[in-house]
Amino acid sequence: MTLIDVTSVSKTFWMGAGARHVLEDVSLKVERGEFVSIVGFMGCGKSTLLNIIAGLAPADTGTVRLGGKAVEGVLRGASIVFQNYSLLPWFSAIENVRLAVATAFPALTRAQQIEHARRALEKVGLGNSVDRRPSQLSGGMRQRVAIARAFATEPEILLLDEPFGALDALTRGNLQQELAGLCSERGRPVTTVMVTNSVDEALLLSDRIVPMTRGPRATLGTSVSVDIARPRSLAQLLHDEHAVHVRSYVVESLTDSVRRARRRRLTRVDDAPAGEALAALPRRSEA
Amino acid sequence: MVAFVLPVAGLVFAGCVWAARSTAVPDLPSPLKTWHESKLYLLAPFTTRGEMDLGIGLLAYYSLFRVARGFLLGILIGAPLGFVLGLSPPSQRMLDPLIQVLRPISPLAWLPLGLVLFRKSEPAALFAIAVCSMWPTVINTMAGVRAIPQDYWNVAKVLRLSPPTTFLKIIIPATLPYMFTGFRLSLGIAWLVIVASEMLTGTPGIGGFLWQEYNSLIYAHILLAILTIGVVGFVLDRLMGLAEAKLRTV
Repeated sequence: MTLIDVTSVSKTFWMGAGARHVLEDVSLKVERGEFVSIVGFMGCGKSTLLNIIAGLAPADTGTVRLGGKAVEGVLRGASIVFQNYSLLPWFSAIENVRLAVATAFPALTRAQQIEHARRALEKVGLGNSVDRRPSQLSGGMRQRVAIARAFATEPEILLLDEPFGALDALTRGNLQQELAGLCSERGRPVTTVMVTNSVDEALLLSDRIVPMTRGPRATLGTSVSVDIARPRSLAQLLHDEHAVHVRSYVVESLTDSVRRARRRRLTRVDDAPAGEALAALPRRSEA
Repeated sequence: MVAFVLPVAGLVFAGCVWAARSTAVPDLPSPLKTWHESKLYLLAPFTTRGEMDLGIGLLAYYSLFRVARGFLLGILIGAPLGFVLGLSPPSQRMLDPLIQVLRPISPLAWLPLGLVLFRKSEPAALFAIAVCSMWPTVINTMAGVRAIPQDYWNVAKVLRLSPPTTFLKIIIPATLPYMFTGFRLSLGIAWLVIVASEMLTGTPGIGGFLWQEYNSLIYAHILLAILTIGVVGFVLDRLMGLAEAKLRTV
């Protein structure tokens, strides 16, 4: 059953006299309980799409439906993890989480809210650092707090905006495993849309991967299912035949999109004939 | 070493210029004469001898108390006004010309209006202090609200915080460092205004004392009052600076 239904969304940013057409005719269906990753190059419009799904930014055209109903404002029942953590620096880790708990569960007493927040932080391994401010935590720990905050509200939908983009490779690997654990731990899986530029991250976590063509006028390619049993490990994914196949499909469609975009840009140059512009492409990419 | 010697050298130099000028201008008391005539006020700072004949500590206390009330009134009006202007662009467009016109008006111009409005010198003095000192608070609070990063607004939206919660947990903490810079500047102005308002209203305090001693031709006490005003203003600014620095680290 389709939970999130994005239909022909377009978005253009106007900067002075110039227009940047970021998204063009983007459609995406996400089933209930599904983990979908949108993979694309940096700056291709992935985050813009996620912000539109989240209801943080309006689309120029097109609609976002949740369970068949058009979404107005911020997506209900959704938690978002941002790339830059977006913790409030004047609150301790536990206060940051409690702020989310307090609005999600208004019936809880203050003590219960604190207990709930503490449990959420313990789950991501921060039981000993609950009273520290974000400035006293490392990047990985900050993102753990952000993940704890997202899960503490027991969301129906989880939106991840390059959640590990700002972390070093080793921390990223650990956190990816922990996130995979958190996602499968709950009785029913959380419907998740993740935006990332790492194919391996997408392979590790998702049920389905959607490649996003390079902007401007970015759109989504044909999605591919990841039929690999969980729990998965990065080492396993290096050799698994299906994983290798999916990876090469995604990489191929991303690089293909670059080629097409470059050709399109070149042929748009008004005073150069189309043939000449095409000939200017590197020979290898023509093969 | 240099950090200590150079400031002292600066003070000694200023003292020398003062001493040299006092030999040329007959009415200007020398540093030594100033000290002799001020001793009584400095060494017994909290004694009362007459209505305006008070120790320097008491005079400063009266002035500080008046400034504190006027300043408090100013920031109680200024900070909320700054929040309104920062959060609502239409209100900013509506009030900006008014603020730009009111801001440069001297305390000497506000005071008679205060006397007309309140018919008493004390509320008129508070009015003048508040209305002159509130502008840096208004403008800094407004700038602080404008400078809140989009990330924090997104957090408020995603966590579905109610408007009061957003205000208390996000807008105020994010704006606080800017507000305190405004408070510091406002307090500096409030202390500047005190002399003018006490001179014109003749109320007891350091400014009233200064004006009275000028009328009584005791010029050494003018210098005493000037130096006291300077030192007190300096200490106030340092205290606010400390509070401000403490908030910066947040």
